[in-house]
Amino acid sequence: MTKKLLQKTTNQFLLFSAIVLLISGLIFYYITNYFYIEETDEFIENHKKEFVKYQLPTFKISDVSLWNKYNKNEILIPSHRVTKDTYFTKIYYVQIEEEKQPFRELNSPIFIEGKPYTYTVKINIIKNKHLVRSIAKLFFIIIIILMLGILIIVKISSKRLWKPFYDTLQQIQGFELDKNKTPVFISTKIDEFDQLNKSLSKLIEKNISIYKSQREFVENAAHELQTPLALFQTKIDTLLQLELSKEQSSILSSLNNDVSRFNRLNKNLLLLSKIDNGNYLEKNIIILNDFINKHLDFFTEQAKAKNLSIVTEFNTELSITGNSSLTEVLINNLFLNAIRHNVMNGKIIIRIEDNMLTFLNTGQPKLMVIDKLFNRFSKTNPSSQGNGLGLAIIKKITELNQWQINYAFDNNLHVFSIKF
Amino acid sequence: MKILIIEDEQEIAKSIKDYFKTNGIQCETAENYALALDKIDNYNYDCILLDLMLPDGDGFDILKELKNKNKTEGVIIISAKETLDSRIEGFNLGADDFLTKPFHLSELLVRMQALIRRKNFKGNNNVIFNEINIDILSKTVTINNKKLDLTKKEIDLLLFLIGNNNKVLSKGAIAEHLSGDMADMLDNHDFIYAHIKNLKKKLNTAGSGDYIKTIYGLGYKWEDD
Repeated sequence: MTKKLLQKTTNQFLLFSAIVLLISGLIFYYITNYFYIEETDEFIENHKKEFVKYQLPTFKISDVSLWNKYNKNEILIPSHRVTKDTYFTKIYYVQIEEEKQPFRELNSPIFIEGKPYTYTVKINIIKNKHLVRSIAKLFFIIIIILMLGILIIVKISSKRLWKPFYDTLQQIQGFELDKNKTPVFISTKIDEFDQLNKSLSKLIEKNISIYKSQREFVENAAHELQTPLALFQTKIDTLLQLELSKEQSSILSSLNNDVSRFNRLNKNLLLLSKIDNGNYLEKNIIILNDFINKHLDFFTEQAKAKNLSIVTEFNTELSITGNSSLTEVLINNLFLNAIRHNVMNGKIIIRIEDNMLTFLNTGQPKLMVIDKLFNRFSKTNPSSQGNGLGLAIIKKITELNQWQINYAFDNNLHVFSIKF
Repeated sequence: MKILIIEDEQEIAKSIKDYFKTNGIQCETAENYALALDKIDNYNYDCILLDLMLPDGDGFDILKELKNKNKTEGVIIISAKETLDSRIEGFNLGADDFLTKPFHLSELLVRMQALIRRKNFKGNNNVIFNEINIDILSKTVTINNKKLDLTKKEIDLLLFLIGNNNKVLSKGAIAEHLSGDMADMLDNHDFIYAHIKNLKKKLNTAGSGDYIKTIYGLGYKWEDD
């Protein structure tokens, strides 16, 4: 699936912002934690200093049990558990809240009446879980605001920024070489788009001029070839009117065949180059059944020479979209092909099914190289009257319309089928 | 009958002239635009055969000139340009018929006769050859005033043969006349034989003379002997 360029860059933006925010969130958490602990340590140290300064000089051993009774978080324990001031975090079970909570604690060695005691002071610190949750919540809100912001800004500003690009795109999509409608690009202040439009205009202009000269060439070639052909034809017609010997007649007769073959070849070549030049782009809806019926008489007449029987099996009415001239050529060529490569007393079946037209005909089983079948000037029977363009034209027409043509030799029948 | 052939290819003009001469048609030729305009200004013709590509001008301009001068000559365009656009433009500018090169002289002749028949409508629209009478409008054929039952194709063939009276018609020319562009694709024109045979039989049975002659190997000829 393709994505729009805009969406791609926006996605990258969003991903980057999310990663940055997550990392900074983590760093923020550790830094906050560090300063918090430092502040707490300072706070309990002040407690200790206060005790040492104001209580300790007058403190007696007999006061210890009373002191410990009224102070929960600042108690005195006989003997030196520590030799110097130590800070640490410890989890205590808090009765009143019925849960374990972290405490920051300072153990410090002191002497009361010359006896060693440990002064322990602790303070409840905010649970890590709470801190993490609060920070995460905050950052989540920031991420959402940031992303929404990016999305909205990208949408609004890029819509404006990319407008010339989409305009150009639309123009190119609607452009067809054979229709005399050159795209007019809207001038833009963005350098890249401006260059794009300029290059496209240049490209299109060049293509149109090449296309025009090619079309001119085709027309000129038609004229240049058809005039001598016309001369040839009219002279033969004139010659026909003379008193001729049998030998002269037979020469003239074969000359007549040659000129009509030449004429046919020229017409087919012109047709191919015209298809290449896209002269037949206009399309209509064609009901194939009617199309075939229309020409059935003519081809039945042609099939009489070989005493062929033509059977139509129309299982449905098939309507297609295509150029009517070309579709006519396509069907005529299929018909002629089926007649030309048939045997005496053979048969031709024309079948119409859903989306499929099939010509089946009897014929010599000896077979053509299938991949060469549709090439120009490939003839299976070198002595045949065909010029080897019929199937090439069929192929070209099917390609132009994105139809599928298939050939098979099945059940002793040559089968040409076109899928629409 | 007088016609003007506007055609820069001298040999084609000459062939047409020679072919038409035996039918009592008088032909004048103009090989360029200037000469053609000059002739149109000074004379009247029954029909003009017009090539579109002339060395010093465009055939379409001649059509425009004819229209400006309110001339009523029938015009058949003979051109190597066979695009739909040029056909449509030709007809829009007032041409009556369009024939693409190369063509058979016999085809040109019958088309011209048909055009002149249409133009001179006030007379009857009948083609008469001895005892044969063809009514073009109602598509009926009578022999000695007795109606003959012919198919559309047979009447077409009969008109083609009579129109080219005394001329040898090749099978190819007949095939092209009867089936138009489709004939171009055919390998052989043997199907003509069956049509000729049927027509001949029907004419003979109805008591008409035996006018259709077979020219060995080449084709057929309508001949009054």
